[in-house]
Amino acid sequence: MSDDGAGGVGSPPLVILEGITKRFPGVLANDAVNLELRTGEVHALIGENGAGKSTLMRVLYGMYPAEEGRILVRGQEAKIGSPRDAIALGIGMVHQHFVLVDPFTVTENIILGDEQQAVLDMSDAEKRVADLAESYGFQVDPGAVVEELSVGEEQRVEILKALYRGVEILILDEPTAVLTPGEAKELFSNLRKLREAGKSIVFISHKLDEVLEIADRITVLRRGKVVGETRPNETSKAKLAEMMVGRPVLFSLEKPEAEVGEPVLRVQELTGEGKLDGVSFEVGAGEILGVAGVEGNGQRELAESLIGLRTPSSGTISLDGHDVTGHSVKDIRNAGVAYIPEDRHEQGLVLEMTLWENAVLGRHDDAEFSGGLGVLFIRKIKELASRLVKLFDVRTRSIEVNASTLSGGNQQKLILARELETDPKLLIASQPTRGLDVGAIEFVWKQILEQKAAGRAVLLISAELDEIYALSDRIVTLYEGRITGEFPPDAPPEEIGVGMLGGAKRGAA
Amino acid sequence: MAAGTALDPASAAPVRSDRIERFVGQALALLVSLGIAVALGSILIVGYGENPLNVYAEIFRGSLGSVNGIGYVLSIATPLIFSALAVAVCFKGGMFNIGVEGQYLVGMVTAAWAALSLDFLPAPLLVPAVLIAGMLGGMVWAAIPGVLKVKTGAHEVVTTIMLNGIAISLLAWAINFPLKFKNAPPGQNVDLRTDLFSDQARVGDIGQYFDITPGAHLSWLLFVAIAAAILVWFLLRRTRLGYEARAVGSAPGSARAGGVSIGATQIRLFLISGALAGMVGMPQILADKGYLGAAYITQLGFTGIAVAFLGQNNPIGIIFAAILWGILSRGEVALQIGTDVPREFIIILQGILILSVVITYQIAKRRLAARQLQRAGAAGALEDSAALDESAGPRGPEDKGLEAFRASDAGGSG
Repeated sequence: MSDDGAGGVGSPPLVILEGITKRFPGVLANDAVNLELRTGEVHALIGENGAGKSTLMRVLYGMYPAEEGRILVRGQEAKIGSPRDAIALGIGMVHQHFVLVDPFTVTENIILGDEQQAVLDMSDAEKRVADLAESYGFQVDPGAVVEELSVGEEQRVEILKALYRGVEILILDEPTAVLTPGEAKELFSNLRKLREAGKSIVFISHKLDEVLEIADRITVLRRGKVVGETRPNETSKAKLAEMMVGRPVLFSLEKPEAEVGEPVLRVQELTGEGKLDGVSFEVGAGEILGVAGVEGNGQRELAESLIGLRTPSSGTISLDGHDVTGHSVKDIRNAGVAYIPEDRHEQGLVLEMTLWENAVLGRHDDAEFSGGLGVLFIRKIKELASRLVKLFDVRTRSIEVNASTLSGGNQQKLILARELETDPKLLIASQPTRGLDVGAIEFVWKQILEQKAAGRAVLLISAELDEIYALSDRIVTLYEGRITGEFPPDAPPEEIGVGMLGGAKRGAA
Repeated sequence: MAAGTALDPASAAPVRSDRIERFVGQALALLVSLGIAVALGSILIVGYGENPLNVYAEIFRGSLGSVNGIGYVLSIATPLIFSALAVAVCFKGGMFNIGVEGQYLVGMVTAAWAALSLDFLPAPLLVPAVLIAGMLGGMVWAAIPGVLKVKTGAHEVVTTIMLNGIAISLLAWAINFPLKFKNAPPGQNVDLRTDLFSDQARVGDIGQYFDITPGAHLSWLLFVAIAAAILVWFLLRRTRLGYEARAVGSAPGSARAGGVSIGATQIRLFLISGALAGMVGMPQILADKGYLGAAYITQLGFTGIAVAFLGQNNPIGIIFAAILWGILSRGEVALQIGTDVPREFIIILQGILILSVVITYQIAKRRLAARQLQRAGAAGALEDSAALDESAGPRGPEDKGLEAFRASDAGGSG
């Protein structure tokens, strides 16, 4: 074969994707995409959800056949018809959702499908796995049972599984999406070690900060096309975001001026289920109160208590001066509370129902949408759904499709639309931008700020400090179910960090 | 790219094509599953040294080959429609009511009691009263597992199975003691049973209008069953309760966060299910026997589960599933007369049919979902879903579909 790739500078590309075009019926997922991967580099592939990043890498990994284009590996044209072919060429992929056998040990998982003999010598295999892990400096116990591992550890096992098969090129599909910040840090240090060992890594992501931190080169995809290639030192978060979205993206939005009015929500000594311990705060009309904290410190319990999904063991919740402690979700919603849950699949949408059915959930017994005999006014509901979809730019072909067909950002828009349409007094927004890409985050933030401008009270619960800063008028920190500090919106992150870790309570405005 | 893509004026067209696609897809799935069942059945028939064509022809001749046969088929289908609907109503709410069996036995007892003790009423009042009594009996028996589930968390599968056993004994007690015949029927050895109901309590035979033999016991309860199916469809699709039920069944957390009371919804569903179950026994005691005796037809509740599966828990699908079941059951008789294939073959065929329906429907559903995800408004071939279905990747088809959807965003509004 000819040596096409050798024209450039530096090391010849290890993998060349040339004019890759992948269609799904009616959709062009990859449109003549070119990409080069060099030996020993971390190559970030970024783009919004639906830009075609994962599709492209699945073509390389042999999961999808491409309609057009060719793939060159080490200068040779390669036909990759299955992941098995890809692995034989030294290409491995770690998916967002791991495929490990939970009751098996780390070693058993790693050698699964690659066993050398019929009778396994486990101690020998364990030793080989341990050596492998050590050679890359991975912290992992080869004898540990997978179901007892943390997500970060499971991911390491997945990476080791690929390395065990002699992979030189490792594709990671949004690897940090499932990790805590600490685990992400460890992943990055592991990736650097792999790079030093001469491995090439494709890092799919839409989180710009981490891409700037880890990547050597960055390729940006938008709507199936490559819109640019750059290096971290030649670009910035704002530039990358603009390339991804196709327009400038604001990372800090102007907070609208709004007088903070009477307290709408007053929480006093809220205690419950060992997760909340005497939580007290107030949120006024036109105010956004940010609740910062590391996840698992009672955020979920707080939000669920406020909307009525949990009954606190003691303490009171009052809305506009009326005690609603222990009231039903329906009562609390009727009293003017809107709720954006942290898990939109578990508490937001019924995925197997249509958009219009989802659009009315929570309001389906309003006199506007169903009659005295319990008959639904379908036409009214569909009108509502069409209006919401248009107003919030929910990208869908029709309101008749199931909510499961929407992308995460559009699902969140649908929830926002539904919840805000009710003209609530109080919005409880729990991790409102989790899993969304930059364009969608900007949209959600704008909507939340608009609530403030409209004089509504907003309780923002978020593990993302960026988000807390971008939106809050006042910040409290939650640690082990207690409020451990209250801060003005311009307090330095270090101080808030102390509060998030249980620091001394500080008297504040 | 922004607002325009959301809903353009031409959105009606894709909606319609979605619906057509769904309908065609489901119809196709049904045909394919029937085909698979028939093919697998043929292998068995060949194993018995018979000609499959001959055997299937025999089944059809025996069931649909004459007006009498059709009468029998519809008569068999009538109680099955009720019991499958009873199963489906709970199923839509995410619950498995295995207790239809017990609920219809209790319904027969209460209906028999009403027929015997209210026989001073004229027919236009007595029959409805008897039917209502039957439904109430079923509701009471269904309320028990419903309340236990909601109040204590006891799983309905366990409680309904237990209550089925109790219902059998309850019926035996009823015909042994309070409802035992007072006027000993003529003859020596008579089965334990109630007195004969008065004529006002019997429901009218409709077979006579179609030259169907009275032996088929085809009554206007068939129309009640069909009406019940339509009502259940309306309930599930067009009412608040049905909407809440489907939400609870599919995503309880989201339903709860939307202000739906899961417990109240579940109890209501159990009551409706029980009322439908209470109707299951009515054809046999009111149209056929005219009394409640120890030799009652059993298993109608359990068969209802199979029919509900066959009809994919769709009320209208259930009507057809029950008729199909009736065809096979009636064909069993012809099979014994016309061929050497043992009657158990029908049971096997029914089993194969359910399996193949469930499996092909699942596949069809995934394909349709994948296609929806791919925004395949244009009439495209299935070739690419084949790529999606490739088991090469470690993710399930849904996840791949999701990715395909994300990819579809890239295609833009076109």
